[in-house]
Amino acid sequence: KYLKSGVSNPLQPQSNTPEPANQGVQGYLIITDRCVGAGLELKSAGWFTFSTIAGFNVDTLPVYAKRSQRMVITKCTHPTYIPSHFPEFPDPHTYIKTPVKCMFLMLAASQRRDVERALTRFMAKTGETESLFKDDISAFPLIAAKPSAIPYLSALLPSELELQTLEETDSSEQDDQTDTENNSSNVSQDDQSADKENVVLPPGGVVPTGKANEENMIDNPYLRLVKKHKGRRKKLKFIY
Amino acid sequence: MLSYKQNPDPSGLHSRRMNRKKDKGFEICINNINFQRKSVIGYVELTIFPTVMNLNRIKLNSKQCRIYRVRVNDLEAPFIYNDPTLEVCHHESKQRNLNYFSSAYTAAVSAVDPDAGNGELSIKVPSELWKQGDEMKVMKVYIEFSLDQPKGGLHFVVPDVDGSMAERAAHVFSFGNQNSTRFWFPCVDSYSELCTWKLEFTVDASMVAVSCGDLVETVYTHDMRKKTFHYMLPIPTAAPNISLAVGPFEILVDPYMHEVTHFCLPQLLPLLKQTMSYLHEIFEFYEEILTCRYPYSCFKTVFVDEAYVQVSSYASMSIFSTNLLHSGMIIDQTPVTRRCLAQALAQQFFGCFISRMSWSDEWVLKGISGYIYGLYLKKTFGVNEYRHWIKEELDKIVEYELKMGGVLLHPTFSGGKEKDNPTPHLHFSIRHPHTLSWEYYKMFQCKAHLVMRLIENRISMEFMLQVFNKLLSLASTASSQKYQSHMWSQMLVSTSGFLKSISNVSGKDIGPLIKQWVDQSGVVKFFGSFAFNRKRNVLELEIRQDYTSSGTQKYVGPIKVTVQELDGSFNHTLQIEENSLKHDIPCHSKSRRNKKKKIPLMNGEEVDMDLSAMDADSPLLWIRIDPDMSILRKVEFEQADFMWQYQLRFERDVVAQEEAISALEIFPTPASRLALTDILEQDQCFYKVRIQACFCLAKIANSMMSTWTGPPAMKSLFTRMFCCKSCPNIVKTNNFINFQSYFLQKTMPVAMALLRDVQNLCPKEVLNFILDLIKYNDNRKNKFSDNYYRAELIDALTNSLTPAISINNEVRTVDNLNTDVRLILEEITRFLNMEKLLPSYRNTITVSCLRAIRMLQKNGHIPSDPSLFKSYAQYGHFVDVRIAALEAVIDYTRGTHFVLTTNFLCLSFSMLGKLGPFSWSGIFFIFQLVCLLQRLGHNTISPNLMLIFSIYREVLHPSYVQKLFSFIIFIKERYSFTILTGKS
Repeated sequence: KYLKSGVSNPLQPQSNTPEPANQGVQGYLIITDRCVGAGLELKSAGWFTFSTIAGFNVDTLPVYAKRSQRMVITKCTHPTYIPSHFPEFPDPHTYIKTPVKCMFLMLAASQRRDVERALTRFMAKTGETESLFKDDISAFPLIAAKPSAIPYLSALLPSELELQTLEETDSSEQDDQTDTENNSSNVSQDDQSADKENVVLPPGGVVPTGKANEENMIDNPYLRLVKKHKGRRKKLKFIY
Repeated sequence: MLSYKQNPDPSGLHSRRMNRKKDKGFEICINNINFQRKSVIGYVELTIFPTVMNLNRIKLNSKQCRIYRVRVNDLEAPFIYNDPTLEVCHHESKQRNLNYFSSAYTAAVSAVDPDAGNGELSIKVPSELWKQGDEMKVMKVYIEFSLDQPKGGLHFVVPDVDGSMAERAAHVFSFGNQNSTRFWFPCVDSYSELCTWKLEFTVDASMVAVSCGDLVETVYTHDMRKKTFHYMLPIPTAAPNISLAVGPFEILVDPYMHEVTHFCLPQLLPLLKQTMSYLHEIFEFYEEILTCRYPYSCFKTVFVDEAYVQVSSYASMSIFSTNLLHSGMIIDQTPVTRRCLAQALAQQFFGCFISRMSWSDEWVLKGISGYIYGLYLKKTFGVNEYRHWIKEELDKIVEYELKMGGVLLHPTFSGGKEKDNPTPHLHFSIRHPHTLSWEYYKMFQCKAHLVMRLIENRISMEFMLQVFNKLLSLASTASSQKYQSHMWSQMLVSTSGFLKSISNVSGKDIGPLIKQWVDQSGVVKFFGSFAFNRKRNVLELEIRQDYTSSGTQKYVGPIKVTVQELDGSFNHTLQIEENSLKHDIPCHSKSRRNKKKKIPLMNGEEVDMDLSAMDADSPLLWIRIDPDMSILRKVEFEQADFMWQYQLRFERDVVAQEEAISALEIFPTPASRLALTDILEQDQCFYKVRIQACFCLAKIANSMMSTWTGPPAMKSLFTRMFCCKSCPNIVKTNNFINFQSYFLQKTMPVAMALLRDVQNLCPKEVLNFILDLIKYNDNRKNKFSDNYYRAELIDALTNSLTPAISINNEVRTVDNLNTDVRLILEEITRFLNMEKLLPSYRNTITVSCLRAIRMLQKNGHIPSDPSLFKSYAQYGHFVDVRIAALEAVIDYTRGTHFVLTTNFLCLSFSMLGKLGPFSWSGIFFIFQLVCLLQRLGHNTISPNLMLIFSIYREVLHPSYVQKLFSFIIFIKERYSFTILTGKS
């Protein structure tokens, strides 16, 4: 509700609250909200953000807090095999994950869907659409399919979101498989330099400058320098 | 610019080659490749060693090339160019049937067959050289040619964006069905004509030319705007094994093997690194089992867009579809790609390095490469996967042969015209690779490797590998010799040579086996049943055969039967003879004893079983016929339901488990349900068996609808395995680290959605459950992508759909939408729209959404309308999406809304009817599309037929397209059907 009035109010004077814009901003706000939420979650292991509380009856909180199956987190003491001179464990809330309750999961899920729906509806309303129904074109708007010149790129390369996820899971698992992203940036930087130097490599040539020395050691004909033209005779030599 | 040099080597092996030359060296030079015009200019130079006196005419193969001049030893030579396949039926107007077309087409292909010394290009040796020819001196033939907008042989991919060709990722690569090199340069286009090669390609400085052999050097042209790639291939190689790929490729030197280089299109390098990270293991595996080094000094892999086939192998390089590349997050594609790489590498040894003597020896090469590929599968993916694969392949070939007729591995073509063709009515001649149907060839390859496995069973794997090693070492010795030493024929494999090696190495006579499976077509069809004779304590087994139906043959010889009794598992070898059907097998165990004792299994394991289900009088638990799949057969065996259940639970062989599952489909009882559920829950069980159990359970549940108790099948199991403990309707955050449970998690909802209640609707509970899975799906903590999982959840929604109840044929509108359907449609809309913003790998989600929408239309929930699919079928969408969209369009035309009106269609369809069921589907497919285009005013998809073919190139094989194309030209001439504009 707050959102709605907040968004539509400033817009009202100019137009009659364009619905797509409203949805777009709403989507944006929800995203920001989620980011903040995520940040909070990390800090305090709690989910108490504006949006999660919205629509939630505060009066039930004390009852919830006094529920019988409440989990009490006690501070861990050292197990016997850890010498006592080691520092004590920090407060439990810093490393123990608060058990996530269904309600929050549900809320988070429906929020995510709301974001997605708002976003896609926004996109659908601002761009070309296709419809499954002749009578009501706006019922299930589908963003029109646009052919792309190089369709395999978007179909094969991981989306930014996926790369981000990968990075997150990797950093948490101490896995070093993150080079995918680094490399792609290296490649783009390398683009022009490779061309200028007239190396054998095509644009987007592989050898990132850092690795250049190492790779030059490898005797691979495709990494060798291109020779300058030395007249016809030279060429014929290889024919026979 | 491309130039190549073929040193032809017409060995005098075939006496019928009267005017045959010998080519020893071949040089090809392509000087200019124009991406804008899609044209190529170059020359070739062949060095010919005449083997006959009076060589005054040289025949070469060449298709669609424009030949400017031909010189023999620097003298201008006159030439005639005639390609009979361009106009197969001339202006024949009386015979308008397909048989006529087929025989005319075969004749046209024969007329230019290089193995018979024929060719499209006939060069007259200048009379000044005749004397020289008599002395059998070397001749050099120089041919200048150009190629404009090639329809085959070379494929140009030029994306329609701004920028230079390199920035646009424009590339060109060679492709072809069997020996199709003649499409891009004049040559002796035969697998048996070996020669050494020198190849030169001048390309734009921003491009790379990848070709066969060693890259000797790269030199800039004078103006520094182009560079020339010089390749040398000293190993004698046949022209069909020569290839080329030019493009602005990114280069990756294999970190484990520096002589191996990988190429991919711009921006895909990270994927290439990931995809290629295990290639060295495949190399090591093959080199180890063959005890032979990889024959070429280097190896190159090139990944190209719009590839006709996923994998094609050429001398020292392989060309793959770029769609095989994947990132580390993708689970499902990884094994598929690994298999493709392994296949390509196996063909490097057998197919490229070792070539074939003639077309009828093809089975040896396909068989060996398929067989060693199988060994790789066994080693990498395990014995379960291997046996599962063998069973799958066996089922495939058996199904094909029983339905379509026999597949003949080694046709001799000795007698009459089409005597060797087992099923001439179903497909075109099997005499030439170019007239063969694609499907038949696929099955041919499948059968070839299965027969190799049978040979292995007979002579042991050790001997088998020794034979391969012998072939390879002979070939590699020969390859280093000069042509004049006449050793090169060792690099060609023939059926007789191969069989001789086998008998030399193993000392065994495999004649009967070869006669049974190689020299004749067909598979064996067994029916088995049994009775237990309590008095004699004997199992009376009856094995009957059907050898009269098409695609079958009679089997006489040994067969293994495994009987699991209470006292253990026993193998028996029975002799299948002419007239004996019944076999008595003495049982080892007295019938049921009272004492509880563990039951020994085949693998030595001893298990407790609940024996209450079995017949008290009989000690038999289950019986298997030919458990090792050492006959190409189909077995229909009758045993009681409890025996199948025991077999499913306790037999450790995955093939037996799968057989038991398919048998249990007709026994919808609580006991079957329990057996299947137990298997589903057992995580030691092979995951593909568990997946199969899911679908069987759904079927059984539907048959038991009225008596079914408890929650819908699999629901509680899924909840237990994948949902949160505290809230059972919410699925846990995705974690696909355990692949077995990932595949199960993906499959269970799809199978569950097939459940139906008494009204024949998908139970509300199941639908809500699937919707919840979609709603709570959370992949943020997963290191793998969930695109295949989400796609399968959409498939599950599709499976849940049932025909709408329509009242008075009302028009479907938004308002009268069923509530469940509304929910489903909401999800599909959201998924499809999200895909535009965050596309999934291989657009799996779009593909599933399109199928779901078509299903909604088909079931009458939403108005049936092909316009959405038409837009997705356009060029410029990912190929999987286009195929899915086209399938939907075709499906639409099959609906009631489409009426075939024009005379032309009636005529052509009645003609097509003569093709038989096999080619029918494919051609029907295309024709429906053509009709559709015509009906719709062809505004969205170009009416150009070649374009339609190019849409189908992933679905249809080039030879098929070629055949079809000729056929359509044929029809076009008859009926002046103007929509078909193609090359004339």
